[in-house]
Amino acid sequence: MKLGEPPILELRNFRYTYLEDTPKANEAVRDVSFSIRRGERVAIVGPTHSGKSTIVDSFAHLLRLKEGQVFYEGEDIAVPGYDRASLRQKVGIVFQRPDSQIIEDVVGADVAFGPTAAGIPAEETRRRVEESVDALGLPYPDFRLRYVHALSGGQRRRVAIAGVIAMRTPVLVLDEPMAGLDPRGRRELLGLLHRLADDRDLTLVMCSASLGDASLLCDRVVVLSEVGRVIMDGPLSEVLRDADGLATLDVTLPEPVEGARELRKLFPDLPADILTEEELESELLERLGVA
Amino acid sequence: MLELQRNVVFGQFVDTGSVIHRIDPRIKLAATFVTLVASFLIDDFLGFAVALALLALIQGVSRIPPGYLLRGSGFFLGFLVFVLVFQVLFYAGEVPESDYLWRWGILSISTEGIRAAGILGMRVVFLYYVTTMLLLTTSLVDLTNGLELVFGPLQRIKVPVNELVLVFVIAIKFVPIFIEEVERLARAQTARGVPFDEGGAIKRARRLGRLLVPIFIGGFARADVLTTAMNTRCYRGGRYRTKFRQMDTKPSDWLILALAVAWMVAAWLL
Repeated sequence: MKLGEPPILELRNFRYTYLEDTPKANEAVRDVSFSIRRGERVAIVGPTHSGKSTIVDSFAHLLRLKEGQVFYEGEDIAVPGYDRASLRQKVGIVFQRPDSQIIEDVVGADVAFGPTAAGIPAEETRRRVEESVDALGLPYPDFRLRYVHALSGGQRRRVAIAGVIAMRTPVLVLDEPMAGLDPRGRRELLGLLHRLADDRDLTLVMCSASLGDASLLCDRVVVLSEVGRVIMDGPLSEVLRDADGLATLDVTLPEPVEGARELRKLFPDLPADILTEEELESELLERLGVA
Repeated sequence: MLELQRNVVFGQFVDTGSVIHRIDPRIKLAATFVTLVASFLIDDFLGFAVALALLALIQGVSRIPPGYLLRGSGFFLGFLVFVLVFQVLFYAGEVPESDYLWRWGILSISTEGIRAAGILGMRVVFLYYVTTMLLLTTSLVDLTNGLELVFGPLQRIKVPVNELVLVFVIAIKFVPIFIEEVERLARAQTARGVPFDEGGAIKRARRLGRLLVPIFIGGFARADVLTTAMNTRCYRGGRYRTKFRQMDTKPSDWLILALAVAWMVAAWLL
């Protein structure tokens, strides 16, 4: 990041109520402020009803936003006349449920939807579709003409992600990307996201109720409490140090962290910054007197 | 973004816990029926003014915010005005020559035509207002139970009342679900570069048109899931079902019905 460059995404005292001023008003986010710099990998973690999905939607202006709350590269995206169409070419969103995302009924056509809408020439679109679908482990020749409705849940999720990746947005926002994937699917998706973020210098934002999932992909964590309020924001290791505080919220801790928390009853001197299985193992071996 | 629910009030239920909400649903249905009959009998503006005053009173007591109702009816009212304009222009009744204000070929504007369109408009607004208020203040459970009991006697002559009521209630219940579906699809397309929040009216309408097929397909899928859910819970139709909640009609309920009937009769006779 260059000095003085504004953050790529910023929320300032963001608050949001669905169907405001109607009897069905439903407060989703009370007061959230944080900013994301270019190239960061940030996880937004919180229990259900903490407003994660609302925050995700705000990044691409998919809500009735008020001015002065959401900024892209320092510009207020809610002012009249702001070019929302081009914002959506920069902030790609993978929704929580892939079915909320898939528009066309054939895989190839759906993945091509975004680039086509952006006016990318057909030849380039085809190339991008092939590349994106392949990258998600769905061989292009085999899946190009498959019906989306006939695919499994995990495959549909991949199609949804491919559709966003094909848009080549500099920011990629994923809402609960790991939900409903089997362990192998998770591993593959993680590998892919890491690779993409490295190769394309992506800014990654991910939402999850699980710090375990977040810890595998992101190095910074914003923790939300119920009804959208930031209660922690910092590097992963720092946030995890307060494992006891996190456990009172409804978020899932990474397995090694959770394990260490339990083992601390036996070994009170176990350090608080254990993040990986390897660290936990070596600390334990040390204490058990095994060289 | 869209928040269509903000603009469609029909079929929604808003629980304010008011007196109106707590009236026995059978009484509400009976009162609704009385007002529907009245709307066909009443034939002058004064009558409709009196009848609408009752509805406004009901709305006040039910604590449904007027702004919410008006905003949610804008599309409907706009469409109604559009239709009524044609009603005036193509009015085919007997009109004395002196009543014509403007005439061109088969198109005309006459005081008689305007009056007829006005009455028709009042009637449609009245019908819409009554049914919307009924749905806004009655939960689907109450509505189902009420309808089943009101039409219960028809079962003696082999009318499948429970099934018909179920179909009716599911149909109403699907209105808000379909609205959500439209919102969901519009959001998906917007996120992927086809904006639903920009462009002129015709462009927007065409984009909405593109959503029809997926919504139709989604509707079938939903109905399928609902069928499975009902089968797994051993739904076998009305004959085998008993009610957990028994309805009881309080004297005050009867009083309200009597008031509604008297008010409508007054509106008719005035």
